[in-house]
Amino acid sequence: MSVSDKDPSQQKPVVELKGVEKRFGTFTALQRMDLTIREGEFFTLLGPSGCGKTTTLRLIAGFELPSDGQILIAGQDVSQVPAHLRPVHTVFQNYALFPHMSVLENVAFPLTVRRIGKAQRLERVRAALDLVQMGAFAGRKPSQLSGGQQQRVALARALVNEPRVLLLDEPLGALDLKLRKEMQAELKAMQRRLGITFVFVTHDQEEALSMSDRIALMKGGEIVQLDTPTGLYDRPVNAYVADFIGETNMIPARVIETDAETALVEAMGTRLRVSGTQGAAAGSDVQLAIRPERVCEDMAELENTAEGILADVEFIGTDLRMTYRMPDGSRVVMRRQNSGRAVPQPGETRRLGFRQDDLRLFSR
Amino acid sequence: MTARAKAPGWFLRRVVHGAPGWITLLTYLFMLLPFAVLITFAFNAGKSTVVWTGFSFRWFEKVVSNGNILDAMQVSLIVAVASAAVSTAIGATAAVAITRRSFPGRDVLGAALAAPLVLPEIVLAVALLMFMSFAGMTLGYTTLIIGHVLVSIPFATLIVRAAASSLDPRLEDAAADLGANEWQTFTMVTLPQLIPAIFTAFILSATLSFDNLVMSTFTSGVGTTTLPLRIYSMLKLGITPEINALGALMVLANVTILLLVMGRYLPLMLKTNRR
Repeated sequence: MSVSDKDPSQQKPVVELKGVEKRFGTFTALQRMDLTIREGEFFTLLGPSGCGKTTTLRLIAGFELPSDGQILIAGQDVSQVPAHLRPVHTVFQNYALFPHMSVLENVAFPLTVRRIGKAQRLERVRAALDLVQMGAFAGRKPSQLSGGQQQRVALARALVNEPRVLLLDEPLGALDLKLRKEMQAELKAMQRRLGITFVFVTHDQEEALSMSDRIALMKGGEIVQLDTPTGLYDRPVNAYVADFIGETNMIPARVIETDAETALVEAMGTRLRVSGTQGAAAGSDVQLAIRPERVCEDMAELENTAEGILADVEFIGTDLRMTYRMPDGSRVVMRRQNSGRAVPQPGETRRLGFRQDDLRLFSR
Repeated sequence: MTARAKAPGWFLRRVVHGAPGWITLLTYLFMLLPFAVLITFAFNAGKSTVVWTGFSFRWFEKVVSNGNILDAMQVSLIVAVASAAVSTAIGATAAVAITRRSFPGRDVLGAALAAPLVLPEIVLAVALLMFMSFAGMTLGYTTLIIGHVLVSIPFATLIVRAAASSLDPRLEDAAADLGANEWQTFTMVTLPQLIPAIFTAFILSATLSFDNLVMSTFTSGVGTTTLPLRIYSMLKLGITPEINALGALMVLANVTILLLVMGRYLPLMLKTNRR
């Protein structure tokens, strides 16, 4: 194809969902979803189980047909096209390797059903197996492989036919932590190298943040926020996003006054100035959110401070996680790098600083 | 005395503890002893099946030179293979349809295919005979095979159905996802995984047909006397070790088939069903 030499950052849509709705009986799994996935990006559908992320993937793959709306792949309307005629391949959570076929036959399957000649087939299978470093295992049966190896074979099988889009349904879910980290890095590197669009489904926010170009965070069959990993982490649109992605302190607060750029709120027994009002009116009850690693102990140039009693110190290797009890009874968790300095003792009263840009307001 | 004082009721405990084992052993003896006696007297030199007079192969020689028995055996083999092929084909197709597809009346079809299992075979046989004479069919191979298919079809269906329902439906999704159409998915993914079960269904159907007496009584015609029917009519003329010898040969054949099936396909089935 002529697109292969183009820059992947060029924002050309490869998968488009237009007002797609999916109902199972009376249950609506997906509510009027509009989504555009761009050529060559690593796109992640993130959310808790039952949020509709897997349904979205199955709709793109063609295992489910939409109750309403349109699905376009590479500009073609495939809404009613069955799975086997769509230019997408899937890597399944349980790998779904064919147990009666060898690794070689498994990887050759997409080529065999397309009646590609034996010589070319073998050559492409070899290349795909080498890509995932499984060349030495071609003669084995899937039952003779470990989980990680089966995963690699499943990946080779999905890539051998060079799909426009690769769909990955929680592919790392069954692997242990160490292997999982390895595969994350490898998948990401592979995606960069091949330039194939990856649509990745996971419930693991850390995995999503570390691998994706863009993430759609879903809840109850809808996209709550679609953004880059940094956007999702630093500029969550609501309390749900802030809570789902990473750790967040949620502190009850009341808005005292607002001006064009900032709001003054009362929280933790003091008054704090916050950048952005998020549409909150004076007098309303809100939640004040701040990430534990953005709470400062260094008071220099800080406009907002509050005093708290150190209630608990948790030592987690690279970091110290300290819980403060504030004068109004709320708790604030602070994270600081383990710099080797003395560990503070519980019971100490300390002054904490909050940069106004790090504070966010959410309606309660 | 001291031992008993230490553990009162030791005898009863031992009996209770050992009971399941003893009962199992006795049950097996009860089931297998007649076979042992039958096979032993197949080698008897005399004409009696109760008094041992010496060792001889003469009854085996008599069996293999008895034209009636050989004819009956040929009929039985033809009917067994034909009816097993038909009922395995129908059973496997139905099993795949019932477990892998959804269509109206699916549950009814599933129940209907298992019905001959619980209906008394003799009623089934009488009904079939009446239907056949109503349809004007002459009793012979065709009627015999139809009857045997009716008897073995529930077993064939159940076996393939069990295997089909333990298949991972995600494998069919995967095949479709990778570009296989429905026919390719069936022939390349679904069917190969069912082969061991289909083979087992075939062997079981053939065995059921080979042993069948009730259905054969009603559906066989002139010149299509099956082996069980022949044995039954021989018994009417008196019991000789010739029947013992024939019985011994049949046991040998059955055990051989069983061992063949188990040795070749059991490990394969276990492997396929492992996740």
